Amino acid sequence: MIQALFSQTNYVATKKLLDATVLRHQAIASNLANVETPSYKRVDVAPTFQAELASALGSQDPSRISSLQPTVTLDPNAVASNRDGNSVKLEQELLAMNQNSVAHTLETQLVSGSLLKLRLAITGRG
Amino acid sequence: MIQLLSGIQSTASALDAEHTRFDIVSQNIANAQVTHAADGGPYRRQQVVFESLLSGNTTGSNPNEVHTVKVSRIEKDTRPFREVFNKDHPDADARGMVRYPNVNVHEEMVDLIASSRAFEANLAVVKNARQMAQQAMAIGKR
Repeated sequence: MIQALFSQTNYVATKKLLDATVLRHQAIASNLANVETPSYKRVDVAPTFQAELASALGSQDPSRISSLQPTVTLDPNAVASNRDGNSVKLEQELLAMNQNSVAHTLETQLVSGSLLKLRLAITGRG
Repeated sequence: MIQLLSGIQSTASALDAEHTRFDIVSQNIANAQVTHAADGGPYRRQQVVFESLLSGNTTGSNPNEVHTVKVSRIEKDTRPFREVFNKDHPDADARGMVRYPNVNVHEEMVDLIASSRAFEANLAVVKNARQMAQQAMAIGKR
C-alpha cells in the first residue's frame, strides 16, 4: 500500500509537468544550437500535451496522468523570418528558456513540498 | 546513460561548430592580404556550412525531434578577387594588376560577432541546465 503515498493526483501531475519542462529545455537547447543552421525549423513540446494533461486532471485518475508522454515536435506556428529558412528567433528562445527555468523551480518546489508534507505526516516533525 | 544536464548534446555540438566557424573567420582575417597562397593564387575566402541532424536519443515509439548541429563542409567563396594596380609588386600580372583575396574584413567582423553571440547563447543554456540539475537534486531537501 506504499504506492498510495505517491499516487495523489497533484503529485503525479507535477511530476509529469516536470518531465515536460525538462523536455522543453531540450527543445530550446536544440533551437539555440541551430540558431545559425540554414532551413532549421524550431521545435517545441507538442501543444497537445497541455490539453491532454488538463483532461486527465479532470478525470482525477493518477494512472491516466502518469501514462501521458510529452513529445517534442516541430512548432507549426514558427515562421522563418529571413531567407535562409531558419525559424528560430534568438531573443524568443532566451525568453522561453528563462520562463522554463522559473517553471522548473516552481515544479521542483511543489514536488519537494509534497514529499515534505508526507514526511511531516509520518514523523510528526518537519 | 542518464542525462544529468538536459539538452547538453545539442549545446555541446553547437559550441563545437561555432568554434570551427570562429577558426575559419580568423583564418580569413589573417589571410586578408595574402597574394600568394599554397596553390599559387591569392588566398580564397572560406566559409562554414552548418547542418542539423537528429540526435541519437530517439526512443522507438516516441521520437523526439531534438537536433544537434555540425559543420557539414567548409566551402570556398567563389566571388572574384579584388584587383589593385601595383606594377612593382612581385605577384603583379602582365597588366600590372595584383589580385588580392576576396576577403572583406567588415563582413568577417560581422560574422565574428554573430558567431560569438551564438556561442554566448549556448553557454546560457548550459548555465540554465546546470541550475535545473541542481534544483532537481535538491528535491526532498529542506
